[in-house]
Amino acid sequence: MVGGFSILLWIGAAFSWISFGIQFAQGAESPFDNLYLGVVLALVVILTGIFAYYQEAKSTNIMASFSKMIPQQALVIRDAEKKELPADQLVVGDIVEIKGGDRIPADIRLIFTQGCKVDNSSLTGESEPQSRSCDFTHENPLETRNIAFYSTTCVEGTATGIVINTGDRTIIGRIASLASGVGNGKTPIAIEIEHFVYLVAGVAISIGVLFFIISVSMRYKILDSIIFLIGIIVANVPEGLLATVTVSLSLTAKRMAKKNCLVKNLEAVETLGSTSIICSDKTGTLTQNRMTVAHLWFDDQIYSADTSEDQTTQPFDQSSQTWTALSKIVTLCNRAEFRPGQENLPVMKRVVVGDASETALLKFAEVVLGDVMDIRARNKKVAEIPFNSTNKFQLSIHETDDRNDKRFLLVMKGAPERILERCSTIMINGKEEPLDSEKAEAFQTAYMELGGMGERVLGFCHLYLPENEFPDTYPFDTDSMNFPTSNLCFVGLLSMIDPPRSTVPDAVSKCRSAGIKVIMVTGDHPITAKAIAKSVGIISATSETVEDMAKRLNVPVERVDRRQATAAVVNGMELKDMSLQQLDEVLCNHSEIVFARTSPQQKLIIVEGCQRQGAVVAVTGDGVNDSPALKKADIGIAMGIAGSDAAKNAADMVLLDDNFASIVTGVEEGRLIFDNLKKTIAYTLTKNIAELCPFLIYIIASIPMPIGTITILFIDLGTDIIPSVALAYEKAESDIMNRRPRNKSKDRLVNEQLAVYSYLHIGIMQSVGAFVTYFTVYAEQGFLPTTLLGVRVNWESNAINDFEDSYGQEWTKYQRTYLQWTGYTAFFVSITIQQVADLIIRKTRRNSIFQQGLFRNKVIWVGIFSQIGIALILTYGLGHVTALNFTPLRFQYWFVAVPFAILIWVYDEVRKLFIRRYPGSWWDKNMYY
Amino acid sequence: MERAAFVLLAVSRRSERGEKKHANVRAAVLDSPQRVIPARRRAIRPPRGSWAPTFENGAFKRRPSPIKLVKAVFIFLLSGLILLFYLVFYGFLAALFTFTMWVMLQTLSSDIPKYRDRIASPGLMISPKPDTALEFYFNKSDSQSYAEYVSTLRQFLETYDDSKQAQNIDCTPGKVFDQNDEAVKKACRFNLSELGQCSGKEDKTFGYSRGTPCVLVKMNRIIGLKPEGEPYIECSTKDEGTVQIIYFPPGGLIDLMYFPYYGKSLHAHYLQPLVAVQLAINSNSTKEEITIECKILGSPNLKNEDDRDKFLGRIAFKVQMTE
Repeated sequence: MVGGFSILLWIGAAFSWISFGIQFAQGAESPFDNLYLGVVLALVVILTGIFAYYQEAKSTNIMASFSKMIPQQALVIRDAEKKELPADQLVVGDIVEIKGGDRIPADIRLIFTQGCKVDNSSLTGESEPQSRSCDFTHENPLETRNIAFYSTTCVEGTATGIVINTGDRTIIGRIASLASGVGNGKTPIAIEIEHFVYLVAGVAISIGVLFFIISVSMRYKILDSIIFLIGIIVANVPEGLLATVTVSLSLTAKRMAKKNCLVKNLEAVETLGSTSIICSDKTGTLTQNRMTVAHLWFDDQIYSADTSEDQTTQPFDQSSQTWTALSKIVTLCNRAEFRPGQENLPVMKRVVVGDASETALLKFAEVVLGDVMDIRARNKKVAEIPFNSTNKFQLSIHETDDRNDKRFLLVMKGAPERILERCSTIMINGKEEPLDSEKAEAFQTAYMELGGMGERVLGFCHLYLPENEFPDTYPFDTDSMNFPTSNLCFVGLLSMIDPPRSTVPDAVSKCRSAGIKVIMVTGDHPITAKAIAKSVGIISATSETVEDMAKRLNVPVERVDRRQATAAVVNGMELKDMSLQQLDEVLCNHSEIVFARTSPQQKLIIVEGCQRQGAVVAVTGDGVNDSPALKKADIGIAMGIAGSDAAKNAADMVLLDDNFASIVTGVEEGRLIFDNLKKTIAYTLTKNIAELCPFLIYIIASIPMPIGTITILFIDLGTDIIPSVALAYEKAESDIMNRRPRNKSKDRLVNEQLAVYSYLHIGIMQSVGAFVTYFTVYAEQGFLPTTLLGVRVNWESNAINDFEDSYGQEWTKYQRTYLQWTGYTAFFVSITIQQVADLIIRKTRRNSIFQQGLFRNKVIWVGIFSQIGIALILTYGLGHVTALNFTPLRFQYWFVAVPFAILIWVYDEVRKLFIRRYPGSWWDKNMYY
Repeated sequence: MERAAFVLLAVSRRSERGEKKHANVRAAVLDSPQRVIPARRRAIRPPRGSWAPTFENGAFKRRPSPIKLVKAVFIFLLSGLILLFYLVFYGFLAALFTFTMWVMLQTLSSDIPKYRDRIASPGLMISPKPDTALEFYFNKSDSQSYAEYVSTLRQFLETYDDSKQAQNIDCTPGKVFDQNDEAVKKACRFNLSELGQCSGKEDKTFGYSRGTPCVLVKMNRIIGLKPEGEPYIECSTKDEGTVQIIYFPPGGLIDLMYFPYYGKSLHAHYLQPLVAVQLAINSNSTKEEITIECKILGSPNLKNEDDRDKFLGRIAFKVQMTE
C-alpha cells in the first residue's frame, strides 16, 4: 500500500484534499469534487492493497492446511513415574521412551534400544530406515548411532533416551534458523514489475512536473496547475494494473495447482518460467521411489523387466524351466506380505509390509505368477533364517506343492558372490550343470554388467533336500543349521533399481529444448546416479564424462582434457575439497552434471554456485536439511508427498505428486504468463496516452476539458479490468518450450519497444480517434472546433451564463457543464471502443490474429462484452447521477471511433506481418516488444 | 507525387543528355579532355563526402577506419529513419484527423446546429455583468465607482441604437414572428425608448448617480425557441422594503414578436428583447447588501426552477450602494 504507484496515488489524493481545502476556504461553489476525487484515489490504493493481500493470503492458506501440526505427546519418566507430557514441556535431562510409530520429541541420546530403527528422511533425505543402538560409533552427531533426532520417526522397535537438546537448539531447530537466515532475494517478476513501475512513474512525474511548469508559466493559477497535475498523475498511473497482474498470476497458480504444482508465493509462478537451471533430487522426483525388478539373469542371458509405473504383465521369455525354479525361490524366499484388504487395487499400488527389495520381489512375483500368498500357502514354510548383515543371505525351507514329491525345498537369496560361494552347480535350461570356471566367468560378467547399471543385484539358489535324509518329520533347527547350506544349485540373478518415472525422460528433453539445464543432486552412489541420469536423459546418450573418456582413450583421468567432456559426475567428497572457482568451472564447462553422494548442506553450495553464473535456479528438496537450499534458490520446490514440513515452509512451491514432469509443466505456465503479462501491460498502458493527451491539449489549447479524472478512473478500474485479465488466458503464440529461458537483464517485462509502441503508436491513434468524437459532439451541439480553442477561462467561469456558441446561441454555465460531461462520456466511449481493438491486437505479439484464432480464447470475448456492457451501464444506466459525470450519449457517437479502431487493427497486422517477413530488420528491432 | 517524381526524372535525364551534348561540343571546341567525363563514368565515381577511402595526400591510415565510419553513418541513418518514420506516421495521423474532421464538418449546416437538446430552455443574464461575481458595489456620489457599469451598459446598448436598426422592421406585437419560408430573415426593431429611464438617453448614468441603478435583464438566445403564453420578467427581493423595483417595458413584458431566433448567419441583425429593471433603493437601506432574484414567468415552456441550473430562467444578483 506504499511504494510505486500507491505513492503517486497518495500524492494525487493529498493534492486533491489540499485543493479542496483551498477552494473551500475561498468559498468556491463546487469544491467537493476534489474532496471526492481524493477519497476515491485513497480508496483505490487501499482496495488494491487489500485485494493483493487477500490474493496472497489465499495462497498461503493452502499451505497452512499442510503444516497443521498435531500437538505431540511424549512419554517421560520423571520423579520415578511415567507421565504423558506435551513435547514442548520436555527439558534437557528428561528420560523419554519411544516405540515404533512415534515421532522423536527432542534430540535424545539413547541408553536402551531394542531393534530400534529410525526414519531420518525428513532430516537427511535418506529414505532407508536406520538402526539405532546405544553404541557411540562416530564423532559426528549426525552419523553416530546412539542419537535420535527431533521430528524424525521411530519406525520399529523401542528405545529409551535422555533428552540432550530441545526446541531451537535441536539439529532441526538449528537448520530451521539457518534457513530463515538465508537471504531470499526478490523474485524476477518483482524486479520486472518494479522496473515497470519506475518507468511509468518516471513518465508520470516528468510529464506532470513539465506541465506544471508550463501551466504556471502560462499564467494559470497555482491551484489550477495542481489540479492539472492530479489529472496527469491519474491518467498516467494504471490503477488497475497491479490488481490485474495479481489476478493473472493467481489464475496461473490455480491452473498450476491442477497440474500438481501448488504455488505458495504468487510471484513464484513466473520465476519458474525464467528458470534456467533446475537442481533436482533423484529419489522420488526423477524416480518412482520404489525398488523394482529391472533385470534378470538366468540361462546365461540377461532379460529386462518392465519397470513402468503400471505394469500388469512382464514381457520377457518365461518358457524356460530355470525361470520356473527361479520364480519359486523369488516367491518363497520372501517375508514381505501385502496388507490385507487390497485385492481390488492394482498390484503396484498395494501397500506392502517389508523392506524395499522384498517388496519389489513380492510385487514382481505377484505380477508374473498371480496370487503369491496362495503359492506360499501351498508350499508351507517349515524353517527360516531371516537376512542379517553377517550372513548376507536369507534362507527358508518349504514343503512342495507337488504331492508326489515328498522332498523339502531349500531356497536362498542374498548377495550374489556369497550365494555363488555356496553353490556347486548351476541350472541351465532347467538342467543342473556343474559350476565350472567358464560358468563362473559368465556369472561375473553378468553381475558386473548389472552392477554397472547402478542396480542392486541379488543371487538366488535352491536345493531339493533328499527324502531319505530329511523325512516328513525332520526337525529343522535354524540355530544349529542341521541342513546343508553349501553345494547348492545356483539358479539366477535379479537386479533391482528405483526406476525413473516414465514421464521424466520426456520432461528432461523438454527442459533441454527449452534451454534449461537439469542438474541431478542426490545422496546416492555415483554409479546408480549416473545410470538413472543416463536413463532419463540428464546425461545424454552421446556425451561422456571425464572418466568415460579416459576409459575410451585408455589414458589416466588426469590426462584427459576436462573441457571436452560434456558430462560430469561429481562426488560429494570431491565437492568438499573444491574451491569456489573449481565449482564454477565445473558448472560452466559441463552441460550435464550429476552430483552424487552429496549431503543436503552441499546443495546450498551448488545452488549458490549456479546463481553466481547468473542463472535463475530452481531446487527440489524434501528433507529438513534441504530447507536452506530451498530458501536460497530463486524458486524452492518441496515435495508434497515425501517432503517435510520444514521443506514445504521454506519452499515457494510444492509438487503435489513429487514428479519432475510437473515442474516442466510449471515452467511452461510460467513462461506463458510472462508473455501474457507483457500483453496485459501493453494493453493497459496504451490508453494512458488517450487519457493523458486530453489534459495536455486542455492546458495548451485551452479547450473545454475533454475527459474528467473520475471518468479516467472508470476506464482504469471499470471497463479495462476484465479484458486485461482475459489476456492471461491467451494461448502461447509458438512453442514456448523451444526457446531459451529469458535473459534476466535483457528480456525485460516492459521494454522500450513495448512502451514506445503502446504510448507513441497505438496510444496516439486512440487519442486521435477520441478527439474526433469529442469534436464531433461539440460541433453537433453548436460549438465548432475553431470556437473551442482558447475558451477555457470563460467556459469555466461561473459568472458567465450567456456563453455564445458558433451559431449565436447562448449557454448557461450548467448547460455548458452538461455538454462537457457529454464530451467526457463521448471520449470515454471512444477509448472503450478503441480498447476493444487494442485488446484484439494484443492477443499476439508476432503472429497474425488470424493465425492465433479470434475465438480460441473465449475469455477475451467475455472481456469485450463486459467492457462494452460496463460502458453501456455507465452511460445509460448511471447517466443521470451527476457526481459520476456521465450522460446518456446519442447512440451514433459510439461509432465515430470505429474507423480508428479498425485502423489500429490493420496497422498492427501490418506491423506483425513485417516482423514475420523481415526478422532481424530495423522494423523488427523497433516494433517487436 | 509519383507523377511529380517521374517528371523530375524526365527533366534530369533531359538535362543530362543536354549537358552531355553541350559538353561534347565544348570538348570539341576546347579540346580539354578533363572536362569530358561521360555521364556514365561520372556516376560511378563516389559522391563527395563518402567514406570510400582515397589516397589523397597518401594519408590513408590517418582516416578513421571505414568500418567505424560505416557504423556511424548507419546509426545516423537509423536514427534518421526513426525520425522519418515518425514524421510519416504522425503526418498520416494528422492528415487522417484533418480529413475526418473535414468530413464531419461537411455534415453540419452552417445555419443551425444539428442538435439543440442541451439548451431546451434559455438562461437569464444581466448587463452590466460585474467581473467576478454578480455583485454590484458602488457609491452613488462617486462616479468612478460605477463608471464601469455605465460604460458596459452603453456599449451593450450601442447595437440597439436607432441608427443601427435602420434595416430592422416593425413587427406585430404579441405574435410570434415566423419566417421559416423566407430566405432572408428579418429582425424586429427593439425601440430603446421602451427602456424608459434605463435607456440611457435622459440619464447618462443609468440611474446610478441617483441611487436608482438600472440593470438590464436578457434571455439567452436559442435558435428556434418560441415562448408560449405571455412571458415577463419579475424580480423580487427577500429583504422587503429595501428596494422598489420598476420595470421597462412596463410589467417586464417580453414581446413574442422577437421570436424565434434563426441563428447568427441567417439572422445577422437580430436583437434580443431586453427588460430593464430599475432598483430604487430606499435611502435607509444603503450600505445593505440587497439580493435580487429575477425570474421569467408567464410562459409554460420556459423553465425557471431547475435544481442544478441556477441560471435557467432566473438570475440572482446582489446590490450594495453607499452614499
